Order: sequence, then C-alpha cells, then structure tokens
Amino acid sequence: MTSTHPTAQTLDIIKLNVRLANGRRLLRDVSLTLKPGEVRALVGESGAGKSMIGKAVLGILPNNLDISEGEIILEGAHLNAMTPSTRRKTVAKMSSLIPQDPLTALNPVRKIGPQITDPLIRIHGWSADRAMKRARDLLDRVHIRAPERVMASYPHELSGGMRQRILIAAAFAPSPRLIVADEPTTALDVTVQKQILKLIRELQRETGTAVLFVTHDMGVVAKISQQVTVLFAGRVMEDAPTQQVFEAPSHPYTQALIKATPTLNAVTKSFSPVPAELIAELHSDIAKIDAAYDAGDRA
Amino acid sequence: MLAKTILIRLLSTAVTLFGVAVVVFTLIRVAPGNPISMMLPPGATQEDIANLNALYGFDKSLPEQFVIWLGGVLHGDFGTSITLRRPVSELVLGRLPATLELSVMALTIAVALGGFVAVIGARKRGTATEVGLDLTSGAVLSIPDFLWGLVFVLLFGVLWPILSISGRIDPRIDFDFTTNFYLIEGVLRGRFDVVGSTLSHMLMPAMSLALPLAAMIAQLLKQNLKEVLVQDYTTLARVRGFSETSVILREALRNAALPTIALIGVQFTFLIGGTVIVERLFAYEGLGNMAIDAVINRDLPLVQGIVLLFAALFTVINLLVDLSYTFLNPRLRNG
Ligand SMILES: Nc1ncnc2c1ncn2[C@@H]1O[C@H](COP(=O)(O)OP(=O)(O)OP(=O)(O)O)[C@@H](O)[C@H]1O
Ligand SMILES: [Mg+2]
Repeated sequence: MTSTHPTAQTLDIIKLNVRLANGRRLLRDVSLTLKPGEVRALVGESGAGKSMIGKAVLGILPNNLDISEGEIILEGAHLNAMTPSTRRKTVAKMSSLIPQDPLTALNPVRKIGPQITDPLIRIHGWSADRAMKRARDLLDRVHIRAPERVMASYPHELSGGMRQRILIAAAFAPSPRLIVADEPTTALDVTVQKQILKLIRELQRETGTAVLFVTHDMGVVAKISQQVTVLFAGRVMEDAPTQQVFEAPSHPYTQALIKATPTLNAVTKSFSPVPAELIAELHSDIAKIDAAYDAGDRA
Repeated sequence: MLAKTILIRLLSTAVTLFGVAVVVFTLIRVAPGNPISMMLPPGATQEDIANLNALYGFDKSLPEQFVIWLGGVLHGDFGTSITLRRPVSELVLGRLPATLELSVMALTIAVALGGFVAVIGARKRGTATEVGLDLTSGAVLSIPDFLWGLVFVLLFGVLWPILSISGRIDPRIDFDFTTNFYLIEGVLRGRFDVVGSTLSHMLMPAMSLALPLAAMIAQLLKQNLKEVLVQDYTTLARVRGFSETSVILREALRNAALPTIALIGVQFTFLIGGTVIVERLFAYEGLGNMAIDAVINRDLPLVQGIVLLFAALFTVINLLVDLSYTFLNPRLRNG
C-alpha cells in the first residue's frame, strides 16, 4: 500500500462512487482536485450530491451509504485505505468543516470557549494556554468584540451571524490544509451572508488554506472561487477555471445555471430558471449512460 | 425571582405535607384494628382500656386529636410510639439513615448500570448488540423489585452463598457507631470490615431495587442519545477527530440527559416506596421495615411519623430534580 501520492495536491478525488445498499449510485465517477491555497466551488441543484462529496472526504457519510469505488487522497494520504480511527485522526489533523447551519452546529449546553479549544487540546495536542490564545486571536480576527466574554457564553446567547463567525474561527483554528464549507451562508440573512463570505475569503487568502466551497449560487461562485465543479445528479458536468466557466461555459447545464442566477444578470434582468426540458433531457442521457455502465458491470 | 420561586416551592411543600398528614391521620384511625386492645394482656378491665385511651388521647374526637397532634408536630413533637414507647422522631430519624443509604446505593447502581448500557447501546446503534441490550432491558423491566429480591436470595444466599441475606451488618463486628450511617461512617473511619459487611448486606436489596430502574434508564437514555447523535454539533465533533464514544460522552450525554433526569426523579420516589417490601424481605433495619411493623401493630403515631417523613423526602427529591434541570440546561438559567 502506498501512503504517499506523487502529486502536490491538497485534495485529490479520483473516480469516487458513493452507493446506497440497494446499489443506487448517488455519486458516479466524481473526480476533482484542489491545489494548496485554491478555492474550488462545487455547484449544482439541490440533491446533486454536493454535500455528499464533502461528507465522503470528511468521513461523515450516513451509515446507509458507502464509498464503493474511487480514491480520496488528502495531502498525500490515501483515506480509503485507512482504518476508521486512523482516517478520523488524519482527516481531523488536516481538514475542518464550516457547516451550513450555525444554529445547530454548536452544542447548546457547552460554552463557546471549550467548543473551540477542546479539539486543539485533545486532538492536536496543544497546551491549554496556546489553544486559548489561538481562540482569542481568531475570534478577534473574525470581528467578535470581547472574545473573552463570548468564549464564556452559551450559543443561545449569540446571534446566528456571530455563531457562524465563531464556527469559521473554530474551523481555521488548527491551521488546516483543507476546509470544506457546505453552503456556509445559506441559513443567514442576506446582509450577514456578504460579511461571512468576505470573511472566509480573507482568512483563506491569509492562511493559504484550500477550500472546497459547496453552493448552489453561481453568484457566490463568481466571488469566491478559482475553480468550479458543476455537478448534476451525482455526475461532474463541467470542471474548469471560474473565469472560463463564466466567459465560455461549455456545458448547456452550466449555461442554464448562469442564466438562472439573479445577481449575475441584475443589469439585464434577463434571468430565467433552468428549463425543465433541459433537466429532463440530462436525466434521460444519464439513464442511458447508467444502463451502459451497468451492462459493463455485469460483463 | 429566585426568592419568589423558593417561596412558592416551600408553600406548596407545606400544603402537600399538610394534606398527607390529614389523609394518613384519618385513614389509619378509620381503618379497623385498635392499638390499645393489642397492647393489653388478656383480661384487662374496661377501666384499663379507658385509662390507656385517655393516655394516648384516643378518647377525644378525630378533629381534636388531629389538632393536638399537629400542635405537637409544629413544636417538633411527633408523639410517642405505642409499641416501642419511645419518641417517634427519635425512632424514625434513627432508621432514616439505613433507608437513605440503601436507596441512594440502589439509585447509584441504577444510574451507573443503566447509563453504561445506554451508552453501549448508542455506541452500537443499528447492530445486533443494540437489539440484544434492548431485549435484555425489556426482560429485566418486566420483573418487579421484590421478585428480583427472591431471585438474588436464591442465587447469592442459597445456591452460591457469598452475600448476607438478613440484617444490616454482621452483629459480631465490634464498632461503636456515632451515627446510623453505617456505610458512610465505615468508609470515613477507614474500617473496611464494617464497609465490607454493610455492603454484603446491602448489595442484594440494593440490586433488587436498582434493576428495574436501570432497565428504564437504559432504554430512555439510549433513545435520547440516538436522537442527539444525529445533530450537527455531534457531526462537527466527529470531523474534529473525536471518537464515537467521546462524542457520546462529551457532546451528547448532557443534551440527552434531561428526560432521564425527569424519569429518575419520579422513579426514585417509587424506588424508596419499594424499600418497604424489599427491606422486609432482607430483614434490613430501615424505615420501611419499621413501617410494616408499625402498621401491623396499629402504632398510629409511628405510622404517621414514617409516612410524613417519606412525603418530606419525596418533595426534597423533586426539588433536587428541578434544580438539576437548571444545571443541565443553560437556557433555563437566567431569568
Ligand atoms: N442517507 C441517505 N440515504 C439515501 N439517500 C440520500 C442520503 N443522503 C442523501 N441522499 C440523497 O443523495 C443525493 C445527494 O444529496 P446531497 O445532500 O449531497 O445533495 P446536495 O447537492 O448537497 O443538495 P442540497 O443543495 O439540497 O444540499 C440526494 O438525492 C439525496 O436525496
Ligand atoms: Mg447539501
């Protein structure tokens, strides 16, 4: 077994397949890479499998799902070849998650401070002083006034925007190589969304952390990412630099997604939802490919 | 705010205790059987009976008797036991430590055992182990405490006699107790023979009382743990590298504990009620055992004293349960 990978990627996903026990594939041959310090957006409609990819990387797929084929290589480490406990520790050492809903992602009965410092002390082996200082500095960095007081508070005493900033601070605290951000602004007010987005982008640039940014909003894609993976029904439709995707989208689904984004078409006001016919056509194409695959599987 | 809550609490406690006092006072006097006739030797004269009746105040009307008794209670005088001829308060308080030690031991066993099984069940959720634990706790739950008592007597008293089946401590042990908390005093004074003997006498009755409650805790807590373990903050803890066991103990347990605390609060009072029969079964010298003798002998003042003490105990437990909610749930704390 090789535990190192020759490429210098932060994350390398090769032909990843995730299946249900009944054989239905939720992800089909998904491949993508993230270079150090790069932001890759993962877009697609609801149910496309965006979160699934993040969960597969972080090792938090629901119990009824399985990585059936494919490789996930994080900083050279082949995650799928590891025992669950080694995998868990490896992933924790190198990556963090910024969750979607800040209201449910903090433990309601524990104070904020320990929720940030606990992993630093118990998983990363830092001293309590160092962890406290890091937490304070980062809370300060995410514009939280009176970090000491906030660290002694319970989640219910803080607003949603504040809680998301705390979760961002917590995600960056152990200096991870990779951050998975799963729609980190969807649950927030529009005004707060902008601040949060800006904050993630700034911190990402300062620290050089690679970010896998899950979103369904092409407007956000344009703002934050250098690379885009467009996902449809668990398949990669398009994988290209962001600029190229907006200037010359090669796939009709990507074109439709861009046309469907209000913020990108604010001037012309000519946005329109992704046409149902297109979606139906894509599904039927996929069904044909699947049938061919399955015939191949059986052979 | 807090002062007001406490005041309301005290008032309602007083009302409860008064109600209990009225009901018990009336019931045991209306029930058939006369304490005086049980005390006298055969052939006592009508005059003897009348004298004794007057001595204990049984010649007065029921309301009058109640008022006299209540007046005494308010001055800390709970009357005198008819059969034991000693102040009720002294008798009852003398036995209370035995029952407290037994029921707290039983509660501790129930929480430890039930909590352990719940954590294992949650850890192994979705596997055959979980099903096995569920079936076991279901079976344990369907057998009441006193039957467990008989099972234990057969197992560890008769078939494999390693535990003591009767009493509270080996009478041959030479030890001058200053309190009636035998176990605690044995521990504090470093007398391990006392501790050993007390435990040997206490283990079977405590286990009998604990098992059904342990099964209830195992079931309820596991269910609540499973509900908490799908919450986002537990997922986040896993991403941060914590093992499943660690996630259960550090993130989930306190969030899942509230319903179990409520259950324990209610069931602990039942458990104390259960000591009456279990103490009898093991001839354990506690309040419950004394209560049965008092009822058999129609020792009215003693019965009243014991019941009132039990009622007071229950209200204290309920208060502790309420306080623990506030401790566990920070959202209830301010305001
Ligand atoms: N535990 C599960 N069992 C079966 N199917 C699942 C499970 N979890 C997710 N799915 C299915 O997998 C597909 C991809 O889900 P995923 O959560 O990755 O979508 P998404 O692209 O993140 O969508 P959204 O924008 O709504 O978050 C969906 O069709 C979903 O119904
Ligand atoms: Mg999602």
